Amino acid sequence: MSFREKISWISLLSMSIIYGIYFWSVATVAPQNSGVHFGALLTTVISLAFVQVALITGAALFSPKEAKAPLDEREKLIELRSTRIAYAGLASGIATACLLGTLDPPVVYNSNGLLFILVTVELLRSASQIIQYRRSA
Amino acid sequence: MITNQIRKLRFEGGEMTQQELADRIGVTRQTINAIELGKYFPSLEAAFKIAAVFNLSIEAVFHFSEN
Repeated sequence: MSFREKISWISLLSMSIIYGIYFWSVATVAPQNSGVHFGALLTTVISLAFVQVALITGAALFSPKEAKAPLDEREKLIELRSTRIAYAGLASGIATACLLGTLDPPVVYNSNGLLFILVTVELLRSASQIIQYRRSA
Repeated sequence: MITNQIRKLRFEGGEMTQQELADRIGVTRQTINAIELGKYFPSLEAAFKIAAVFNLSIEAVFHFSEN
């Protein structure tokens, strides 16, 4: 498995687990309790940064040469294709959020809905990268 | 369809490894493997660089057929 593919796996798994816990907590706490939501979000962002930095540093230690090398043409193509797919997902998600926004949901749900779209799109991008790396392996 | 002779040329050229070829043209070993297996078609620049490593013309390394 190449270093770039490992990075995609780290991104996919860490975001799925950490944001999964966050969104579960949002869904089970009353929307009026915005202090709890803010604390949970802060903890999530810090945890995600810590976990990703630790795992990516670990992966780089096992393959230092690949970690230092710039993306080659195949890797750039994979990144571009994945970003294009994710953009389509982002556009669809934002359009859906605009429609649901007319139902006048609580602010906490509205902002978390947008965050959910961003996280989902990032997961889509990582998953797309992994699929393309596997297909050409 | 584009096919290539890279694997054959590597072995004829002193058992060159995929990593050695990758280092010489500035791509990853996985990209060389994908090119050899026909799962990725390199850019014209990379194709010329690969041909230059073996001191051959690009037509001697890559072949195009309509099928």
